[in-house]
Amino acid sequence: MSVFPFAQPPTVSFYLIVYVLTLVLHAIFMTYVLAGSLYLAWAAVFRGSEETPRARSAVAKILREWMPFALSAAITAGVAPLLFVQIIYRQEFYTSNLLLGWRWLMVVPVLVVGFYLLYVVKSRLISNWPLPVRIALVTVISACFLFVAFCWTTNHLLGIQSARWPQVYESGQVVASLGALTIRLAMWVAGAFPCMSIFVAWQLRYYSDRDGRPASQVGGLRALSMVASVGILLTLACAGGYLATLTADTRSALLGSQGGPWMMAVALGSVVQLNGWWLMRKNGQLSTSSLSLVTGGCLLMLTGAGFLRELLRFVQVDASGVARNAKSAASVGGFWLFVLFTVVNVGLMAICVRLVRPALRTDAETSDQQTESPTV
Amino acid sequence: MSSVFPVNDYGPLMPGLVMAGVAILHVFLAQFAVGGGFLLCYFQWLAMTGRNEYARRFVEGFFKILLMISFVMGALTGVGIWFTSIQISAATIGEMVFNFHWIWATEWTFFCLEIVAGYCFYRYHQRLSDRTSLTLLVLYTFAAWMSLFWINGILSWQLTPGDWVQSRELIDGFFNPSFWPSLFFRTVVCLTLASLVGCVVVNLIPDLDRDAQRSLINRAAHLMLPMLLMPALGAWFLWAMPADSRSWVLGGSPAMMMFFMISVGASVAIGGYALLGLWLQRLYINGATATLLLLLAFGATAGGEFVREGSRKPYSIRYVVYSSGIIPEEVGRLREIGSVTNDPYPVTNEPDCPNPTVLLGAKVFRRQCAVCHTMEGTNGVAHLTQTWDLSQMRLNIAKLQQTKPYMPPFSGTPQELDALVHYIRWVLDDRPSPFDYQRDDAVLAQIQIWLDEAGTEASSLALAGEEWSP
Repeated sequence: MSVFPFAQPPTVSFYLIVYVLTLVLHAIFMTYVLAGSLYLAWAAVFRGSEETPRARSAVAKILREWMPFALSAAITAGVAPLLFVQIIYRQEFYTSNLLLGWRWLMVVPVLVVGFYLLYVVKSRLISNWPLPVRIALVTVISACFLFVAFCWTTNHLLGIQSARWPQVYESGQVVASLGALTIRLAMWVAGAFPCMSIFVAWQLRYYSDRDGRPASQVGGLRALSMVASVGILLTLACAGGYLATLTADTRSALLGSQGGPWMMAVALGSVVQLNGWWLMRKNGQLSTSSLSLVTGGCLLMLTGAGFLRELLRFVQVDASGVARNAKSAASVGGFWLFVLFTVVNVGLMAICVRLVRPALRTDAETSDQQTESPTV
Repeated sequence: MSSVFPVNDYGPLMPGLVMAGVAILHVFLAQFAVGGGFLLCYFQWLAMTGRNEYARRFVEGFFKILLMISFVMGALTGVGIWFTSIQISAATIGEMVFNFHWIWATEWTFFCLEIVAGYCFYRYHQRLSDRTSLTLLVLYTFAAWMSLFWINGILSWQLTPGDWVQSRELIDGFFNPSFWPSLFFRTVVCLTLASLVGCVVVNLIPDLDRDAQRSLINRAAHLMLPMLLMPALGAWFLWAMPADSRSWVLGGSPAMMMFFMISVGASVAIGGYALLGLWLQRLYINGATATLLLLLAFGATAGGEFVREGSRKPYSIRYVVYSSGIIPEEVGRLREIGSVTNDPYPVTNEPDCPNPTVLLGAKVFRRQCAVCHTMEGTNGVAHLTQTWDLSQMRLNIAKLQQTKPYMPPFSGTPQELDALVHYIRWVLDDRPSPFDYQRDDAVLAQIQIWLDEAGTEASSLALAGEEWSP
């Protein structure tokens, strides 16, 4: 089988699969925060009608309420891929970290600022603040997360440009091509919106079920389907543009037997999502079957994109070095310990959720009947 | 051959200090998060059993603080430690991650449980039964303490790899000689920190009268009771340390001893206040005093972490990586081929180097010294060597591990050593231009003799009575 990463030595395939799967888990929460913060900024600036301001929509309420937790989850879930990337791409990852220098060290303080500001937006403190301040607040939050996205994208691109490392060290110019960086960043940012939309759609659906309202009366469907569909189309457009910036060899790896199936997965996932959103919009309800379909499509798209991202990196780094790293890492014990405690802890997490189920039914904080939140 | 990574210049700030700053903050917050779980369980139990009528309000107030500080700052500074470690010594963090990645991944599963249990409690506890709330808190506490358990194994391995050195078995590295004393000591620290934060929080709860506050504070102080074990646990830890490391702490290194004494002194002050004031006299403690005690605890944590980090010298991981980021097995080879021969990164922080030798010296400094030293700032090599003449400087650096036993051996060619000496001299002379250098083969031959006499092994091992050859 020549599909990436299965054609690689077993140890390389194993670590790459673990890495991509944990990265997808991280991306689910990360996209919620990134797209959510941008949505709130957009809703604050383009306020909509006086009767139904966007910032007071059900979507905005849910985002405000859940983004702090989503960021917490994103950071927590991000630990695992951060661990495995060090195993697979030790030289590349560490070098690009070091070349980014102070910018990389700024990621954590910027995230801290973004995190606390999310709690400020969630609180009722800001209801008396002037509108420009509230707009500034959500803009700063978006800027924080965009900065983090910029750093990760730059880090990734630096890692695959080993020939530039001494020059980057000397000049401090970490960006080789602003165009390639921008279009890649735009691709991931646009791709965050469909994922966020699905997450929020499930939340809206859950709250409507809990409140005993029919699926046809769930607010936010129009906005979510629009955001998701535009996000998918923009993602695909940016992906096409990004492909054009790649060298012929790299492009052929992505489009050939190694990356072709993942390309198809992304395409199929996109079509399934677009179709699902169209169906829901047409029927005017967030039906379980359509939501499940869209979710499956999104996961397919995310997983495909994850493997394509790695293939793109893999063909541009020292593959023999990666193979060496993976082979020696596989000789280190502890894997079954990890499996054991993964099972135990997933079970305990399920118990936690089960324990709070009675309280979920009266989760007034996110209910549509809650006191009006401030318009940000 | 190990990798060569670019080295960043943080100006007058020693890179190790950047690391220490982030690490101390994270350790303080993370240990508070662990102890906070125990404290919350205790107070939830007090509330459930009616032993303290104000305990329920405390649980709510305390958990908000725990969430806002620990979930945000604690989690992010944890990631920050990784980022900072890479900046300071990619070789060190690389070895830690490589050898214990499944332990770290296991710890991650507990971290996930900690977040889920904590968030479930935070969001829903007001609508849950007491028993369910306690179950969630117990799960949170279990997960948080298990996080400590796993990370403690990796951190203690850095100082005392134990039988792992021969067997390379995970279990030997994890349950290393300082694992248990370190784990128990840290657990006591966690409880103490949570207790002190609890005292601050009690003072922040609105509408509590003095008696109510006193009753809560006296309860919170119960978690400081295990501090009585600290002297024994500290002695156990010291006993488990390698003899050379112990000798730095107990007087061999003035800085290390000073930080050790700060840690001990601050702990004694906190323990004494807890014993006499809070347990025996059942005193009230106001917010200012509680905060002051908490700051003392921060000082104790900082001192303790400094000692833990510093006592590993000349290694960052004993037997595995020197504090310079060079691995012991490579010293001999680097003395033949040169430490910067394969370093592709140009020197950027000394734009006015007057000749190639000084430039080479600047590069050698960056490769072998810059992790722990600056040139003229914190722990500046220029200051440390300013009274040495050229000949003495050559001798002292060639026999570096004998000059200062907590220093690693010099890992380069005689030419590199002489270039380093001239670079230091050039800086001490206020960077003159021109600055002449005449190659003297007799000098280089003498340096080679000194290097050979010193050998390639750390002399700290001889001090410890250990025989180890890479």
